[in-house]
Amino acid sequence: MRISSFLDPAVLARIDNLELLARTVVDGFINGLHRSPYLGLSIDFAEHRPYMPGDDIRRIDWRVFGRTDRFYVKEFEADTNTNFVVLLDISRSMDYASQAISKLDYARYLTACLSYFSRQQRDRVGLVTFDQDIVEMVPPSAKHLDVVLHTVDRIKPGGTGELEAPLLKVAEAIKRRSILALVSDLYHEPQSVLRAASYLKNKGNDVLIFHVLDPAEINFPFEGAAHFEDLESGERMPVVPERQAEEYRALMSAHLDELAHLLVSNGMDYFLFDTSKPLDYALFQYLSRRVRLSRGRVR
Amino acid sequence: MGFSFLAPIFLAGLAALAIPIIVHLTHRERKDAIAFPSLMFVRRIPYKTHRRQKIRHWLLFLMRSLAVVLFVAAFARPLLEGDGASATSFAGAREVVVLLDRSHSMAYGERWDRAADAARRAFAGLGPDDRATLVAFAERAEAITQPTSDRTVLDGALDGLEVGGGVTRYGPAIELAREIVERTDRPRSEVFLITDFQRTGWDARQAVSLPRGTVLTRVQVADPDASNLAVTRAALMRSRSGGRERAALSALVANLGVEAVEDVDATLVLDGEEIETRSVSLEAGEVVTLQFDNFVVPRGPTRGVVRVGDDDLPDDNEFRFVVEPDEPISILIIEPRAGSADHSLYLRRALAVGGQPGFEIDVRRVTGLSTDDLDGRDLVILNDAPFPGGVNGQRLRSLVEEGAGLLAVLGRRSPPGAWPEDVIDFLPVAFGGPLDRSSGGGATLSYLDYDHPVFGLFRAPRSGDFSSPRFFRYRRMETTESARVLARFDDGSIALAEGQQGDGTVIVWASGFENFWNDLAVQPVFLPHVHQLAKYLVEYEEPRPFYRVGNVIDLWESPIVEDGDVSAGTELFVERPVGGPSVLRLSEENRFLQLNEIGFHRVGYVGGDDDGAFVVATNLDPRESDLTAIDPEEMAGALTAEGDAEVTALEAIVLSPEDLERRQGLWWYLLVGAATLLLLETLISNWLSRAKPAKARS
Repeated sequence: MRISSFLDPAVLARIDNLELLARTVVDGFINGLHRSPYLGLSIDFAEHRPYMPGDDIRRIDWRVFGRTDRFYVKEFEADTNTNFVVLLDISRSMDYASQAISKLDYARYLTACLSYFSRQQRDRVGLVTFDQDIVEMVPPSAKHLDVVLHTVDRIKPGGTGELEAPLLKVAEAIKRRSILALVSDLYHEPQSVLRAASYLKNKGNDVLIFHVLDPAEINFPFEGAAHFEDLESGERMPVVPERQAEEYRALMSAHLDELAHLLVSNGMDYFLFDTSKPLDYALFQYLSRRVRLSRGRVR
Repeated sequence: MGFSFLAPIFLAGLAALAIPIIVHLTHRERKDAIAFPSLMFVRRIPYKTHRRQKIRHWLLFLMRSLAVVLFVAAFARPLLEGDGASATSFAGAREVVVLLDRSHSMAYGERWDRAADAARRAFAGLGPDDRATLVAFAERAEAITQPTSDRTVLDGALDGLEVGGGVTRYGPAIELAREIVERTDRPRSEVFLITDFQRTGWDARQAVSLPRGTVLTRVQVADPDASNLAVTRAALMRSRSGGRERAALSALVANLGVEAVEDVDATLVLDGEEIETRSVSLEAGEVVTLQFDNFVVPRGPTRGVVRVGDDDLPDDNEFRFVVEPDEPISILIIEPRAGSADHSLYLRRALAVGGQPGFEIDVRRVTGLSTDDLDGRDLVILNDAPFPGGVNGQRLRSLVEEGAGLLAVLGRRSPPGAWPEDVIDFLPVAFGGPLDRSSGGGATLSYLDYDHPVFGLFRAPRSGDFSSPRFFRYRRMETTESARVLARFDDGSIALAEGQQGDGTVIVWASGFENFWNDLAVQPVFLPHVHQLAKYLVEYEEPRPFYRVGNVIDLWESPIVEDGDVSAGTELFVERPVGGPSVLRLSEENRFLQLNEIGFHRVGYVGGDDDGAFVVATNLDPRESDLTAIDPEEMAGALTAEGDAEVTALEAIVLSPEDLERRQGLWWYLLVGAATLLLLETLISNWLSRAKPAKARS
């Protein structure tokens, strides 16, 4: 009961420290998994080394003793050292909030949790923030979790959003096959989003797209005529929501359907989140995907 | 009694009265736009505007204006001036609970002095009708006083308190405060939490909170940039060479401060003599393992200390331990007459691994056995050999009945006929001929009693695979009434059974240990299994080199009682690290010694010699060395989770106008009044706006 209430983004917004937040969410999430088969993933046999006094005798390889007449100890290590990079859209439109937290804050929490979680899986973690261009880039490393969290903590909303140009640069910059998690509100034409994501996919990366929207952007619950101002361009429009809401919802729904169809049919994973959704849902989606990737690699 | 404001400058906000007037007079077209992430899907639609320039609803106007006045007055923080008593009685008497942290981290620097001062100031602020309880807490919470208005009692109780060696746990303290507050008949309640807000003491998953309406005043006494170097653990790795037992000490040293430390000396001291010094440098937050050289284990119990650096929390700069000789376990393996030269190879090699405990192994043929071979043995293993007959058999019987262990391995060379008839009943089972399971790949073990110490080690996943060994032949066994079955094969047959003979334990294996009837001996689990069997049969207990503060020793189970002639009423002396020795009269009830102080405790017979005494080392719990503080806001948020409990930070507790204003809490009533007015205004205006179009349509 208390753990799940901590996963509510509105409650998490009261925690200033990003690492604490990530730890709260991820540890709570992992505790919730109990005996999930996922937890056994990361251990794999690595090598033998000679037995030394003080070693746990349970780890002595008795079969090897039978063959060599010497005691050897089995060493284990994690097998999942892969690169995990979050590509975080910090354009001005992400700074929108109709509820307790903005999309950018939600994306920050999501980034912190995914990075922390991946680091627990012994992945190398990195971060790219962008608006119309790359703003900051933390290359993936086993030691960069703190840098990633610090960078995420310092994020300020940027300017106009662009997708293709910055992601093309990212695709050129990341040399090694990686898991790339794009976190954005994707206010671009679906074909443009596909082109941008394909730059990453075509380089052999596994691409996960976390589409973050505010519930008001999906439901359009406004009442009363008013001017609406575009956060990025500053353009203003007079709007009568009562008349326009239905059509808006239909357009938004078609946009989301097309995005999902295009991205999934091109081999990418697409997840839609509104900022009222608990963060463990995002972690679960990611973990499911991560498990599939691991299995694919074994095959 | 006068009426004044703590922050009169906020009264300038009364100019905001103009706002509702302006709103009423100039209800113009909205100039402020609604920010929206993207207008990608929004079509342009023009809309019409209306102008209203006269006041149409006087009631609404008045309500809005009054709400603004109340808001402004609330922010100006009004108070009724007068003496503290009258101010207190205005809002009602208080039930005050002072939660005072006395865990060991409060010994750091001047934390305890600051905490005691804060508690005294809290008592000084009590009104004549107020009542207070002093609660001291570490891992447990204890009400030092009953609820009282008598400051002398409270101050006296506070003077008698000092820092303990325990760890911080906030949960019990909050629970106790909650109980006191819930029981009170006072209209108001306030809890003072005086602590260093140690993060390790706070478990966010614990569902503790204060009742509604309780004011939580937190007093942070921690130092912002605390430095602390600690030895958090030490372990002894024993080995045996040339008949001498040696030990190598490894110690875990942690820099739990915010700054790096350079070239600090770490010294190993045994019985007051410095044995070895090493230099260590640590970054902030770094933990290193220091490995000291081997030393010969002294013959008697020896006090050891690992000492690192010096800082404001000195007790964790030292780690104390007791090292005493761990006598090897003497094992005799008895082989059958016709066994090969390597008959016990796997058994011998498995028992030769490891030094804690060390095993001294001798191997004899059953035919060449003498009573001298059996004398002084802790464990005898009949490795597919029959029970010896004649005087050897009688000696083995008495050995086991006096407390030695017996492991009978019934392999291919142990037909029932080979055992003397008069000793068959010595086993907890009756055994028969072999059962052949070689067709179909052999039998497996399907049941293991993981509650038994022999298999308890393997309970956790990946800690020993007993499903891999294949058993191609094993002996049929039937248990007697007193036997306990520890393992069964997949057809339900007994694989391992245990029974008691006098003070000794007998265990029987239904198959051999020589990689012939089964492949158990070449499976990874064989080695730890054999060790567990041997340790269990000799009732081996690893010498415990140290304890933590808060641990309890059962004196009935201690070496002094086990080795001596003790009965209820025996007097024992207890020397503690602090204070003089005390005498304890041993009884069934009075048998536990709680280790509350850091250092060495010594226990012995009153009037007995020094050799009879035993020493235990007690160390600080490592959680208490980590001085990282939790954000008090975070903790206060969780403690006041029930909603309207109020949180305030306290720097000084005096009856200043601020305190007076806070205790009276008039602003709260003004704020509630303003909010109620605005709610009413909203309801009325909504009703009016709905009524108007209906009227227009009609």
